[in-house]
Amino acid sequence: MRYYEILYIVNPNFEKKKLDETMKEIDNRLTKTKSKIINHIIWGKKRLAYPIQGHKYGTYILVHYKGGDKDKLDEFDSWLKLGDLVIRHMIVRIDKEPDVLEKVDNESPKEKELDPKSDKDKISKEKNDEETVGVE
Amino acid sequence: MAFQTKRKYCFFKENNITEIDYKDVKLLKRFINDNGKIMPRRVTGTSAKMHRKVVSAIKRARTIGLMPFIDNGSE
Repeated sequence: MRYYEILYIVNPNFEKKKLDETMKEIDNRLTKTKSKIINHIIWGKKRLAYPIQGHKYGTYILVHYKGGDKDKLDEFDSWLKLGDLVIRHMIVRIDKEPDVLEKVDNESPKEKELDPKSDKDKISKEKNDEETVGVE
Repeated sequence: MAFQTKRKYCFFKENNITEIDYKDVKLLKRFINDNGKIMPRRVTGTSAKMHRKVVSAIKRARTIGLMPFIDNGSE
């Protein structure tokens, strides 16, 4: 059996209730394909590198699962693509069995992401990193 | 008088990294230039094996909106 990872983006304006519903819906669809879900966590609200469907921000959600019925998984892929539940998704095969990640409180990482000070710190750090690389 | 060029080393060999995750944007940002283009191996000094992994990771990150296809500074 192969292990897969899905990273999908949902509307950043979704409330917690709507977000839970979306995750539940995807959970249900995945279990129908006889897949075993290992992780299903919210990765956080992030700024998109380029606007997708008019959105500048997006909530990233990460899923790890053990693949089941291949035909049904293909169906699941196209269902994700055709529906308007998610803004964008990507399914990637992973070689090793993924570790079980702890479920973090949904509130705390979001606040950190939105805090402008921490963002500035990050940017300055990254700039420093680039300088150290020193491309001649 | 020959120019003294600084020897470049593979970043991944120095730091003992063998696998690259496309979600690790901070790491991948080292390998793109200001316009968002992937820098060539002759500039970064990455080994051929790891450069191939960097390229595929950057392309995956672009697809899911973590990294830009082009970054011309305008928002």
